[in-house]
Amino acid sequence: MTLLLAAGFLSPLVLLAACLRPAWRRAIPAWLAVAPLPALAAALVVLEGTPLALELPGLRFALMLDVPGAILLAVSALLWSAAGLYATAFLQNATAKLRFIVCWLLTLSGSLGIFMADDLVGFYLLFALASLPAYGLIAHDDDDAAYRAGGVYITFTLLSEAFLLMGFVLLAAGDSAGSIRIQDVMAALPQSPWRDAALALTAMGFALKIGLVPMHGWMPLTYAAAPVPAAAVLSGAGVKAGVIGFLRFLPFDTAMPLAGELLVAVGFFSAFYGVVIGLVQSRPAVILAYSSISQMGVIAAILGMGLATGNNGTAIAGAFYAAHHVLAKGALFLAIGVTFMTAASRIRPTLFLATLVALGLGGLPLTGGALAKLAVKDFFDGSLIGMLAILSAVGTTVLMVHFLVHLSRSMAAAPSAGAALPFVLAWRLVALAAICVPWLLYLAGGRSVQAVLAPAALRDAAWPVALGTVLAFGWVRWGGWAPRIPAGDVIGAMETAFRSARSAGAAVERLDGGLRQWAPAAFSLVAIAVVFSAAMI
Amino acid sequence: MPAVTFGLSTNAGGYLLVLAIILPAIGMIASLVAGGRAAERIALTIMPVGLGLALAIAISVWWEQAPLVYVLGGWAPPLGIALRADGFSAVMLVTAAFVVAAAGYFARPLFATPAHLAEGRAPLAFWTLLQGLWAALNMVFVGGDLFNLYVALELLTFAAVPLVCLDGRPETLRAALRYLLFALLGSIFYLLGVALLYGSYGTLDIVLLAERIRGQSIVGPATFVAGGLMTAGLLAKTALFPLHLWLPPAHANAPAPASAVLSALVVKGSFFLVVRLWFDVMPGLASDVAMGLLGALGSGAILFGSVLALRQQRLKLLIAYSTIAQIGYLFLMFPLAAGSEPWNWQAWNGGVMQALSHAFAKAAMFLAAGLVAESLGHDRIADLRGIGRAMPMTLFAFGLGGLSLMGLPPSGGFTAKWLLLQATVQGGQWFWAAIVLCGGLLAGGYVYRVVAPALATSTLGLKTSPSRSREAIVLALASAALLLGFVPPDFHGLLQVGRRAIVP
Repeated sequence: MTLLLAAGFLSPLVLLAACLRPAWRRAIPAWLAVAPLPALAAALVVLEGTPLALELPGLRFALMLDVPGAILLAVSALLWSAAGLYATAFLQNATAKLRFIVCWLLTLSGSLGIFMADDLVGFYLLFALASLPAYGLIAHDDDDAAYRAGGVYITFTLLSEAFLLMGFVLLAAGDSAGSIRIQDVMAALPQSPWRDAALALTAMGFALKIGLVPMHGWMPLTYAAAPVPAAAVLSGAGVKAGVIGFLRFLPFDTAMPLAGELLVAVGFFSAFYGVVIGLVQSRPAVILAYSSISQMGVIAAILGMGLATGNNGTAIAGAFYAAHHVLAKGALFLAIGVTFMTAASRIRPTLFLATLVALGLGGLPLTGGALAKLAVKDFFDGSLIGMLAILSAVGTTVLMVHFLVHLSRSMAAAPSAGAALPFVLAWRLVALAAICVPWLLYLAGGRSVQAVLAPAALRDAAWPVALGTVLAFGWVRWGGWAPRIPAGDVIGAMETAFRSARSAGAAVERLDGGLRQWAPAAFSLVAIAVVFSAAMI
Repeated sequence: MPAVTFGLSTNAGGYLLVLAIILPAIGMIASLVAGGRAAERIALTIMPVGLGLALAIAISVWWEQAPLVYVLGGWAPPLGIALRADGFSAVMLVTAAFVVAAAGYFARPLFATPAHLAEGRAPLAFWTLLQGLWAALNMVFVGGDLFNLYVALELLTFAAVPLVCLDGRPETLRAALRYLLFALLGSIFYLLGVALLYGSYGTLDIVLLAERIRGQSIVGPATFVAGGLMTAGLLAKTALFPLHLWLPPAHANAPAPASAVLSALVVKGSFFLVVRLWFDVMPGLASDVAMGLLGALGSGAILFGSVLALRQQRLKLLIAYSTIAQIGYLFLMFPLAAGSEPWNWQAWNGGVMQALSHAFAKAAMFLAAGLVAESLGHDRIADLRGIGRAMPMTLFAFGLGGLSLMGLPPSGGFTAKWLLLQATVQGGQWFWAAIVLCGGLLAGGYVYRVVAPALATSTLGLKTSPSRSREAIVLALASAALLLGFVPPDFHGLLQVGRRAIVP
């Protein structure tokens, strides 16, 4: 059974190795949907109640899967598999197939493997694997927008890795026994002299990954530039590398009010910021990206509340909420692709299903989204916090209706156009999963159906969605006055600042020109000799 | 850690050290005498043997957990000369043998004697010089006597300089001359320092010298001046910022296999001696200020070299500036590794790991750049768009090397940074950590500059396709940098063999 863990992480890499043989290469796309299945199996085993762990002492590499990890792994593997089906069909008419496949498989391996990482170095490796090769998926179209998005993405990724590296070094330094197992360093963290710095740096690394405002600018560019299947897996599963990071590295068993409340504040700010800026966007993919920023904000707020109160159940609740987002966001990105290929006359089923999934993000009763909201309800029990949580559900609904309106305007122009079967199949599979899988997880968690079906619960879930829908139609009708903000909003200013920092390089270059003359170099040599002699005295 | 004795008598396996120096030296002479195609054959035969020899030395150092010592002719120092290989020497010997062999086999098509000639000037020079350089490196790594090391250092420079200008183009001659002059300046500084030490202590044997320096109640100013002069001279040969004026033109204009050896190994030779000087010869004299100064110069190199690498238009110049930056990390060893705390030995191992992984990664990158230049006829970065499609293996190897430079796992570069960062934290020297992280980000930038456009779909016309076997060599070097990320804990023990904790 434990070998399932290794298989889950290695199966994409085996396919990658198969790419080396040109004869096999042509068959690889058909396997994209199969590659995530061992990981799915491993997740199901754990959800059945057997925690899995695997240690390869020779390689100093260990894997383990607990319940929060398994929840996220199961839905991520499902999304990767369905999106793999979509990608197989997508690749038939794509250029740069091999690049796409290689990057897909590498990202897949990291994206699933990270839920099973057991030690700091393995986590860091898989985090990099889940993030860096995605460049090839984002820049797939080889146009200026794709290169820009790819460059911005890589910059944020490298930054996040730099923060993580330092954070992890501090975590490891805090464990005097010298272990790098995540559970050991987390157990040693409360006594660590570097506790606050370690937490702050680690959290910063993950905040960059999940795009908390103001580190969110890369998301709209990236999801808009990436091809549909890539955007689906990156927005659904990829970004959860940051979520699992928070789940693993925030010490939920010790209450840290200040740090927790800071995370709540940043989270809610992101939640509303994403809604507001998303509402002045018109490209469906960009709107979804802003919805992701908003939803990641909600998750950060949940985790912040858990940290502030020292709630042990935060990891499972947070994973459950995030799991719904994996499927819902992945499904909606696939919906963009399917809608784009489908004529108005045949769009109805797609739009219907998309409406259910999209409103699910706002908490539509009986959908998976309502369960996700219910699972984290206890975290938002204060009057102010509870109000903010409800407001964010209203805002999300407004944003989702806005998305649906723009989605319905992006249908294919040809009167009889229709999406091929694999596209439709993949989309419907993920959409249904978004609605149903949270039910399975909810029931498997031993929670009661009454809590969901009670009239009060239904009413509590329904009215924010209803209010949001009403507001949304008002916005669609009268919102035309609002200024348009370019996708990525602050990213433009950041790029300008980055470019001007680059021009400082010209000054460094002039300095180098000067230093590489004979006289300054000889002077430096003598100066070094003198200063060293003096420094030793 | 096991107790380490610094015996001055030959121990079992000590003769291997003599062989390690003599083998390439004999190869060099035999190549010169036999000439023509035989020179190449001799060199290529000797390289795998030398690699086996280096491995044997490393294994016996690891097995004995003590340095190998050989006293030449049975004359104990100070009359005779001792050769000594500790853990650091052993891994450097293996690295040198591996990289030299890779460069040699890679160079076969470049330096084959033309069919219509019995002997070519450039081929003969290349094969003899490469072996000479290797012999000199081995002498540096096992030399136990400062004057002996001076000779080795000179031999190293004189073998390295002509490698830069084998093609005889004016710009390569200019670059070689610049290299030669500055290296000579460095040699003079070093030699002056050696003379001062000899005058003060009457011996140049490292172990005896260290004992005599430690035995003094008051260390005279001559020792300080000697230390300053020797350090400055060695830094000049290492091209540590701001003494790097010669490195970019020399490393960027040399033929690819020569660039690989120069960047991977030759600059590490003089670095190795700085380590010997401060950790073995005058350990007690390592004041915090002096060590901090070395760290500061290293930091300058990291930032400065990386920023300049970001601005280069040619691939080989980019790699050369990246060497300047990567040398900087090595010097963080000095403020971090001088001491007997556990974090000091982490820093020591971090520094050594950086030396090893940079050697493999940089050799791979220079050879990859060489393949690119051969296939395209140029190495302008702006015109490399789509090279990944045309030469996937080459780009892959380049990317793996880049991964190690950026310090991403799994790679030796990651292990090196991890250890160095651990030391900065536990030693409370946060400042260096910020530099290391910035350096990693900037390295990400310059690797991205090459790799991202290379992945584009545009089609590039190649003049020639690289041969599979040469791509395999590049890949082997890059994989070695990667595999260093997986070394077992025993390896870290090996690096500690013979290291003396500095107790102030």
